[in-house]
Amino acid sequence: MLFGSYHWQQIVLRLILFALLFTSLANTSNAQDQSLGLKASQILKAKCVKCHSSQNRKADLDLSSVDAILKGGESGEVIAANYEDSLLWEMISNQVMPPEDEPQLSKQELETLKEWLEQSTFKPLAKEHTSQWEVLPVLQLRCVVCHGKQVAEAGLDLRTRESILKGGKSGPAILPGNPTESLLLKKIHAGEMPPKRRIVEASIKVITPTEIKKLENWIAEGASNDMPVIDSLGIDPDPLVSDNDRDFWAFKVPVKSALPESIKVGWSQNSIDSFVLHGIEQAGLKHSPRANKEVLIRRVYFDLLGVPPTLEQLQRFLNDASPTAYEQLVERVLASPYYGERWGGLWLDLAGYSDSEGISESDPVRPSNYLYRDYVIRSFNADKPYSDFLQEQLAGDDLADYTDPEHVTQQIEDNLIATGFLRQPPDGSFANITGFVPDRNRYIGAAMEVYSSAVLGLTLKCAKCHSHKFDPIPQRDYYRLLAVFKGALDENAWMSPLKDQGVSALKPMRLLSVTETVKRKAIEANNDRVEAELVEIRKELSTVEVAAISKLQDAAINALPEQIRSDVKSALNEAEQKRSKVQQYLVEKFEKEIRFNIEEAQEADAEFKAKREQLIARIAAKDNEKQEVTPIRALWDRGDPSPTYILTRGDYLNPSRMVGPGVPSVLMDVRKEFSIRKPFENSPSTGRRLALAEWTIDKSNPLTARVMVNRIWKHHFQHGMVKTLDNFGLAGAQPSHPQLLDWLAVEFMESGWSIKHIHRLIMTSSTYQQSSSVSEQHELRDPQNKWLSRMPMRRMDAEMLRDSLITLAGVRWDKQFGPGDLAVSRSDGLITTLPVNHDVWRRSIYVLHRRTLMPTLLTSFDRPRMSPNCIERTESTVAPQALHLMNNKQVNSWAGQFAKQIIQETGNIREEQIRQSYLKALSRQPDEQELQLTLAYMQKIAEAAKQETPPEEINLQVLSNVCHALINSAAFIYID
Amino acid sequence: MDPYPVDNDQTIGRRRWLTSTAAGLQAAVLTDLFSKDIYGMETPQIRSIFDLKPQPTHHEPQAKSIIHLFMNGGPSQMDLFDPKPELDKRHGQPYFSELASEVENPTAAGALMKCPYKFSQHGESGQWVSDALPHTAEIVDELAMIKSMYTTNLTHEPALFKIHGGQELPGMPSIGAWVSYGLGTENQNLPAYVVLDDPLGLPVNQSQSWQSGFLPPVYQGTRFRSTGEPVLNLSRDFEQTDKVTSLEQELIAGLDRIHKSRRPRQLRLDARMASYELAARMQLEATDALDITKETQETLDMYGIGKDTTDSYGRRCLYARRLVERGVRYVQLYINFQIWDNHTGLTAGCKGACDRTDRPIAGLIRDLKQRGLLDSTLVVWGGEFGRLPIAQLPANKDTANAGRDHNKNAMITWMAGGGIKPGVSIGATDELGFAAVEDRISVADWHATILHQLGLHYEHLYFERNGLKDRLTSVEEAHLIKSILK
Repeated sequence: MLFGSYHWQQIVLRLILFALLFTSLANTSNAQDQSLGLKASQILKAKCVKCHSSQNRKADLDLSSVDAILKGGESGEVIAANYEDSLLWEMISNQVMPPEDEPQLSKQELETLKEWLEQSTFKPLAKEHTSQWEVLPVLQLRCVVCHGKQVAEAGLDLRTRESILKGGKSGPAILPGNPTESLLLKKIHAGEMPPKRRIVEASIKVITPTEIKKLENWIAEGASNDMPVIDSLGIDPDPLVSDNDRDFWAFKVPVKSALPESIKVGWSQNSIDSFVLHGIEQAGLKHSPRANKEVLIRRVYFDLLGVPPTLEQLQRFLNDASPTAYEQLVERVLASPYYGERWGGLWLDLAGYSDSEGISESDPVRPSNYLYRDYVIRSFNADKPYSDFLQEQLAGDDLADYTDPEHVTQQIEDNLIATGFLRQPPDGSFANITGFVPDRNRYIGAAMEVYSSAVLGLTLKCAKCHSHKFDPIPQRDYYRLLAVFKGALDENAWMSPLKDQGVSALKPMRLLSVTETVKRKAIEANNDRVEAELVEIRKELSTVEVAAISKLQDAAINALPEQIRSDVKSALNEAEQKRSKVQQYLVEKFEKEIRFNIEEAQEADAEFKAKREQLIARIAAKDNEKQEVTPIRALWDRGDPSPTYILTRGDYLNPSRMVGPGVPSVLMDVRKEFSIRKPFENSPSTGRRLALAEWTIDKSNPLTARVMVNRIWKHHFQHGMVKTLDNFGLAGAQPSHPQLLDWLAVEFMESGWSIKHIHRLIMTSSTYQQSSSVSEQHELRDPQNKWLSRMPMRRMDAEMLRDSLITLAGVRWDKQFGPGDLAVSRSDGLITTLPVNHDVWRRSIYVLHRRTLMPTLLTSFDRPRMSPNCIERTESTVAPQALHLMNNKQVNSWAGQFAKQIIQETGNIREEQIRQSYLKALSRQPDEQELQLTLAYMQKIAEAAKQETPPEEINLQVLSNVCHALINSAAFIYID
Repeated sequence: MDPYPVDNDQTIGRRRWLTSTAAGLQAAVLTDLFSKDIYGMETPQIRSIFDLKPQPTHHEPQAKSIIHLFMNGGPSQMDLFDPKPELDKRHGQPYFSELASEVENPTAAGALMKCPYKFSQHGESGQWVSDALPHTAEIVDELAMIKSMYTTNLTHEPALFKIHGGQELPGMPSIGAWVSYGLGTENQNLPAYVVLDDPLGLPVNQSQSWQSGFLPPVYQGTRFRSTGEPVLNLSRDFEQTDKVTSLEQELIAGLDRIHKSRRPRQLRLDARMASYELAARMQLEATDALDITKETQETLDMYGIGKDTTDSYGRRCLYARRLVERGVRYVQLYINFQIWDNHTGLTAGCKGACDRTDRPIAGLIRDLKQRGLLDSTLVVWGGEFGRLPIAQLPANKDTANAGRDHNKNAMITWMAGGGIKPGVSIGATDELGFAAVEDRISVADWHATILHQLGLHYEHLYFERNGLKDRLTSVEEAHLIKSILK
């Protein structure tokens, strides 16, 4: 690290001879230095100042004047006492700067700059003034966890100058001008604060000598109350981002262009085809013929539902001779309640959906996370406008007042559940030891990455440490966006992600027990009813117990001599203090014989025992009828966040200047402001995420619609028009069909952000209905199918495969929603899903997505590990996949169940069996060659199995092998 | 500015293509299954098929394979290889205040604690080894000690993520996955990256330590079990005769041939058929790799196989040699749970961990050497962090039963073979062994050095996702540990 440990605010360097560069030469004595300075100045002006000027401050660095150079840039100081340590030298000597597409420094020029840096004299200057904005971050980092927003131990709040002066129970925390008498410093110097044995509990670190020095200086200088300089998004021209930067295609608002004319007429079904056909013709290609109906229905079912059609669904379409049969098919499938399970699942990849926190070995489960998954599925099924869908997920807590339990609607509850979008990254902060500020910052960074990669198709992560290398996103913009999230995700006032771990006054839980009013009332009414019934049962239990004991007692008393029976009885019934001497004697003497407990009564009376057990079981069962509100894993703005500083090189110990909330400047259109308002009356919220949501879904946002239609396109056509789904920036791929992309994006917005509308357009296009055969022409002219002169052949993804297997086996249970189904790990590491209700399985989206327990079948077929999300899955073709499908017991048993069904449906004629299994697994008949080959092998397998298999099982055995072969065949896993 | 430059592939796209070619990654699609580059001049991100074919290295490699002896729990540097006379002198003095924020369990913190073992110099190199490791002491002339390593987190899980995946987070590819991605492997009948875990149980973080993260799953570590079937799903776990199975396999192959003949020029179908053929070959080869019945008694003894304490780890060390012999790229050895995590009872606990591993490891180094494999095999030893110079006291505050807490500021590792200078050491900790002070080596440096020996440059080994080039070392700058390289 050459420079990282320096902080430009801490050490101000004065470069004396450097001044010669740009100022009068009159004061200097050395003519040689003068000419050297001039030369250096000329070089910088020629090669650097184009980007690093006062108007155009790339990396927030201005190299056009002395003061500006001394101030440094976003990475701190650029010059140092020793030239080798200066960032400027590091950048130019390693040829990082100037950028490779700009005029380079010649050897001679480099030599001159080196000489100048070497010979110039640098002299550190004492700091004149310590700002409160240098000191407050220290207190935030080390003290406010116990003396701040959530807790104010000893009545002390150390967040602002005002509250520090006010102090706590022991008086003001500081005396301006008098550091030695300031309580704050006394406690720190005495080693009492922060208390060393509590630092782990509070997840903080001890205060460093440099930080103490800073505090001392500030107090000694009188604890200045200087106003903050906040770098906020304004309307003035932005020195860090130019209009030229905004001129990049993806940063401009999309518009619909005129449809291109094609030579070929009669093929186009809709506008998509016009654009695609134009491209095909330009490339000198021809479109492919329409695929046959069997291919189309399989394609439609897998694209929309991820499972093959049933026989009935297949026959209905094949027998439908109407000219709109295909369009009706698309409509029917789009209306399926299982559509949301497929497309919601694709969204969950983007959110990085995970049912556990990760980080720790224990990988604790997030009990109510499924509410978010269900919300996503329902939203897709309802074709919720994408704009609403985004708004709810980004700022659901700001959309309506959720704080009044008497007025919570289903929509309000959904709003909160939707914010689970930003609660999916790994979060170890339920444990103190994995919940320090850097851990929290990592979480915040991950949540921002989910937003930027999934919604904006931009990479912002790089700008955490330095301005983006390719895109015009200065570091400042990253921290402006971070400030947007700070009302909810404040690293200085953190919350524990779980209900029952790590929650304390220092770290309240980040879950909201809010539910729809009618639901809550129903729960309360239910619990009241249950409680009332419990009282009755308990009463009955008590009566039965008393009776059983009295029965024994009576019998025992009856065994006593008759003359004392009534005396003993009344003595026993008398209260202990009131007993006469005689009575006391009687009780003492006979107690052992006539006192009985429940166990004795149960031993003596089997009927009583049974009755009692029955009542206890009834109580337990009744108790189970009690319901509770499931706390929502929400994200909500609590207001009053700590200030946001740009962190030099991303280092949390190195805050530089303050920024206000905002979005990347390059995406701001002059017509639209980033306007922040109170979301609703009495809202605690800063309203910042609401502003972000509104900006995101504004029609002038150049990215939101483009990124989403490109993604929908990808899932139908294998690749997006922009192949880098996650990067619409300068380093991303250019769109293959720019006009079509923009046309679709505008169409998407004009349709009211209807995702199903886009499906409909795509799927009813001729483009989509093409065959996937690859001709020699295709291979020659368009091997990558950039122009879509054919449909791509696709492999099932992990979920499609597993869901198809349980579908064919007839063991798929279509119950929707609710807590995830458990997976277990075998000792050899194989992870499998447990069947629910004995012998059925739900679709893969309902498997508990625990980070450490993802079913092997899914991960082998490229189900991703979320880090923090997955924008595009990879596809691998490897031996372990074959081994799993060939050798795994579960897969084999599913094949057996598949075969059993076929036999039930078709009987024992092999040809019929084969035809039926092809229809079910591949939605088509076998061709003659396939049929003959399969028949021949059935014969061979029957022969081979004769020795071990009883004759009555041979048929099933043989067909099981055929079914097993079929699900192992390429025809099954690839979709034409 | 033209909103849609026509020539886009020739600008950034072309530049990226050139870089990626230099990195040798693009070549992954040029497998011998395909007669030509079917994906053309595209960014590596859209590579459609990932496999384990050998890849060109970035530079001349020093090692072909690596055996990673992972010492889970955090071995104590000052009790094994880094003697601290000053610690002996100051034994019993309070020191907690000096390192309060570096202690995971402050309430249990005790005074400075000396090493319970005796140190002496060994071999011609004169390297220091404590008497807890008598066998390692005998081969110390082969080792290069890195005494000044440090990491960034003092809790097991994040530290494990860091040492395996370069970042303190789950979901990152492990170094083994990166190596398989970058280099592929020489023997297609075995996995590129094999994990030999302890039959007694998985380490902390379990299989997350060898996951492929955001890389395709083909690159994740494959567990080879010591007993039973070595590989998951390697043979059928249901009843069926071999005859029937092979008939079914013929049927699949036949159906696939028909399917393919109806779909000419769909190259992915070839890859798919190849994966089934490979699966069949793997069944034979993996079983053979773990069959040690033909090893001599002398060899078995060298590894401590047959002796209670050392049998289990000894077997894994021997398997490691056999796997490396067969061209496996990355072999990683684990021990159950975390035997080096000696919070209490250090004297016995640390010695116990030594006893289980000392002879097998020395045996492995000797065996590799005598077979001429050490030159091409990089052997790496180390855990996820080091330990503190102060004592950690048990609940009853009995100092005799004290241990040491985690320490991220200093840890010790060694490397051997594969282009490593034998009998050297680099770096130093402070006089108490609390922090690395001289020639500090970061985890990124360590990763970069391992990659370097295998012929990979840490900056050129990347995977594009979320619009970024993700690397093992993330955005950290790394420096090779040059002084231990030949």
